[in-house]
Parts: sequence; structure tokens; C-alpha cells
Amino acid sequence: MNKNNLIDIISVSKNFGDTKALDSVSFSIPENSVLGLLGPNGSGKSTLLRIISGLIKKWEGDILFKNKSTKTYPKYLLNKCGFLIENPTFYEHLTAQQNLTILSRLTNNSPSKISEILSDVDLDDAANIEVSNFSYGMKQRLGIGQAILHDPDILFLDEPSNGLDPLGIREMNKTISNLHSKGKTIIVSTHILQDVEELCSDIIILKDGQLILNTPIDKLMTESKIISIKAGNIKILENYIKTLKNCQLVSCEKSKITIQADFNIDSLIKKLPEEISITSITKDPNLSEYFK
Amino acid sequence: MIKYLVYNEFQKVKSRKRTYISFILISILVPFIVGAIDSGGGTLEKKIYGQLSDSFFFIGSLINGYLATYIIIAVLITHMPFLSTIVAADIVSGEYSKGTFRIYLSRPISRSKVLLSKLIIVFGYTILLMFYFIFYSLSVSIAWLGTGELAVFHKGLLFLSENEALTRFLIAFLTSTVVMLTVSSLCFLISTVSKNSVTPIIITISTVFVGTAISIIPIEFFEKLNPYLFTGYINSYLSAFYDPIPWNEIKQLFFVCFAWAICFIGLSFAHFLNKDIVD
Repeated sequence: MNKNNLIDIISVSKNFGDTKALDSVSFSIPENSVLGLLGPNGSGKSTLLRIISGLIKKWEGDILFKNKSTKTYPKYLLNKCGFLIENPTFYEHLTAQQNLTILSRLTNNSPSKISEILSDVDLDDAANIEVSNFSYGMKQRLGIGQAILHDPDILFLDEPSNGLDPLGIREMNKTISNLHSKGKTIIVSTHILQDVEELCSDIIILKDGQLILNTPIDKLMTESKIISIKAGNIKILENYIKTLKNCQLVSCEKSKITIQADFNIDSLIKKLPEEISITSITKDPNLSEYFK
Repeated sequence: MIKYLVYNEFQKVKSRKRTYISFILISILVPFIVGAIDSGGGTLEKKIYGQLSDSFFFIGSLINGYLATYIIIAVLITHMPFLSTIVAADIVSGEYSKGTFRIYLSRPISRSKVLLSKLIIVFGYTILLMFYFIFYSLSVSIAWLGTGELAVFHKGLLFLSENEALTRFLIAFLTSTVVMLTVSSLCFLISTVSKNSVTPIIITISTVFVGTAISIIPIEFFEKLNPYLFTGYINSYLSAFYDPIPWNEIKQLFFVCFAWAICFIGLSFAHFLNKDIVD
């Protein structure tokens, strides 16, 4: 076990009746990383988060937090973690302030911290409004607020962008980046691949309860053969790509072409004719193939 | 920590409208019944005297605040299990169904303390409800009809003095509260198992109905079984007005109800502490 790892997940398994929700999953969460926990629906992401958060009691394997087993010291991990698991749920008949007050009593936070948190998640004007009157985006922000209320070192966010509009997703990603810049280790469970590329330093992919990929996103980018090209005159580019050897057209959109190539970006740029006005060329980690 | 947890539960319960339904119902029903007793007092007296009026000559009236309270308890006590389940039914199952445990239980707190805090609130609510039911009835009845000797039927017509009547109502409060706490414990158990708040009410009330039926049906097997069922003691407040007070019966009531309550609470904890929160 690496001493820079905050959490080590060791052979964690969970069955629901005959269904194997998690099958001997092992990986580590490095300190100050943003780990993307990916997988299609039913892959075991939420089950894993529920096990870490102590909501699921019966499971096999072990979870170490700073080399201490959470089975022996469950509160040690929970003290340092904040969770947003699935849809944010609150006592809807209470106000945002009252909801946070209830949670703050569990971790002995001062009442002044609540105003600070509400301000951080841009809900200071809605502090005294019943949560039942909140929009989904406001609830999601309050969900982040409750997760960071006790100033945890590690944040587990399960589908934080779920149900948000594009603007909401952008704001959520900004919030996550801000939290990471404040030194927090963040684990984001998502199936929005764009979020992963934008936010994460490492990724874990689960499928059918099994770990199928565990790698830094940089490495995935380097190894990837998928290249996205944005250009003005896309038709000329498409025709040109078709003439290249060791290159396959994956998709062609209005202003973007995606190819799978055996050569790197630099050599591609050299090969492209001058009349094609390139806006951007990026490597794509091609995570979608893991979701098939 | 338990102090904060209890306060949290108090805050959650106090802000729910349904918490007040029982108190509102009692507040409306009691003056209504007292008013009815006041206006129909003559008929009621005739029924109480019955054939005794052929042999005795009665001076004054039996109708007073104590008798009215006694009648109110007799009329409403069988409905109190329903009212006492209103908070207990929702207190755990409501958190499952709304998903709020996902946030609450992922904090560094022990589940046993969380459940204990909920149980304290359920018991507090039940005690307060029974206290309100009996002493509000007493207050309204006395204010409306005044005081006097309490006439009750036990091996004939029994008259209890004014001072004695108050003590008897206190004993009636204690015995009926113990039974209602057991009913609440059963509802609490079902609440920890169920994912909605209607099921605990239905199961608890059905159990009370079946248990009450067992206590009424004169079959030898049921008669042997009845002393061991808490449901057989729902009307045991009556024994507080017997002369002499049957302390052995009351002790048995306490013992049986205590045993059932411990059993229900123990099962609640055993289930809740090992439950996977997956909703």
C-alpha cells in the first residue's frame, strides 16, 4: 500500500440475494486527487459509495483509511468524509438553514459555519425557505453544502450533475474544482464522460460489479488512439481522412471529426493539407468503449 | 451526543403538521362529549340508577366532572392506540422512504443512538398524549360540570370521594399510558422494518383489534391466552376505579406490557443496526 493513498479498497464484495453488486473490487484513492468513479447504471458505483459511507452494513473485504480498517474504526473515516449519495434528500418541511442545523449538531459545527456554507453554495438568500420549494439545482447545491458542512478532507459525490441543465453542470464542475483547489480529495461517481475529462486526475471504471479499469487520466490520454479534430471546412477534412492509411473515421459532426489513428497528433498535423483550417486537435480518452 | 440527537428528532416531529392531529381531535371531541353529558344528564342518571331507583331514593345529581371524565375515557380509550401511532409510524419508515437516512447515517454517529433518540421522542409523545387526554378531559369536565363524588359500577354502584377520585384518575393515567407505550413500541418496530408509514399503522391497529377480540370472545383457549397479551389490558384503566384497587392485576399489567415492549424494542434495534440502507 502506498503511503500517499488516503483510502485503500481491498477486495470489497457485496451480494443482494443472488445478484453480485460488487465482485472483489480493489483500488486506492490517492491523496488530493479527483477520482472519477465511472460505470453504466447498475455497475456498482452507488453500492460502493454506500459501503464506504456505512449505509450498507453487510459486505466482504476491507476498507482502509490511512491504513486503519474502517471495520474497526468506522467513525475515523466518516469524520473525514462528506457524502452526496444519489439525489439530494432533505427534510423538505424544514428550511435550508434548519436542515443544515440538524446535521451540524451531529458533528458539533458552530452555527456561524452554516451561513458560511450557504454562502459558498450560493444559497444565502434561500436560507429560510422550505426545501420543498427548492428547484432541483438548488437541492443539488444544498447537497454539496451538507457534504462540506463539517469540513471533510474527502468528498464522495454520486452523480452530482444528474438532472442539472448545462449551466448547472458547468457551475457544479466549477464548485468541484474549487473544492479540489482547497486541498480536498474528491471522488466523483458519474456517467457523464465529459465531466471526467474536465475534472478528474484518475479514473476507475466498474462494470457488472467488477473493476475493469484503474488508471490516471493522463496515461489514458497518451495511450488513446482516438483524436478529435475541430475544423472549419469539415467536408474537405473528412475526404482527406478517408485517404489516410492506419486511420479510421469514428464519427463526423457539423464541425468536429473523430478518428482512430495509429499515429500521434504531431504527425497528423504535419499530414493535414494547408487549406483545412483547424480550430483544435485533442486526444480523447475514449471512455465510451468501456460502457458498451 | 444523545441530547443533540433527541433535539434533532424533536425538531423534525414538531415541524410536522400530523403531529398535532391527535391533540386537535382530543381538544375538539372532549368539550363535545362533556356538552352532550351536560344536556343529556337526566337520561344518563336514569340508566346509572337502573333498578336501584325502585328501592332507593336519590338526592342530588351523579353528573359531575369526574363522572364525565370517566365516561370520556371509556368512550375514547379504544381509539387511543390509533392516535398514539401517528408519530411512531413515520419516525423511522419516513426516513427510509424520503431517503434522508442517506445523509443522516453517513455522519459519524452510532445507529443505536439515532434509534434511541427516535424511541425517546415516540415515548415522550405517547406520554404527553395520554396526559393531555386524561387531564384535559378532567379539566374541561370539572370546569363545565363541577366536582362531586364519582359514581362507578363495580360489584354494584360504588361512590368514590372527590379526593379519592383524583388519585384514581392518576392511577388510570399510569396504567393506560403503560399499555399505550407498548402499542407505540409495536408500531416503532414495524416502522423500522417498513418502507412506508401507512403499514406500521395498519399492522399495529390490526394487532390491537385482533387482541381485543381475543379478550372479548369467551373461549377457554383465548381466556388462558389473554393475560399474556398486552392488548387484553387496553381497558385496564377501569381497575383503577375498583374498590379495593386490584394491585396484583395492575402489577401483572405492568409486567406483561414491559415484557412485550422490551421484546419490540429489542427487535427494532437488532433490525436497524444491521439494516442496509439502499433506498
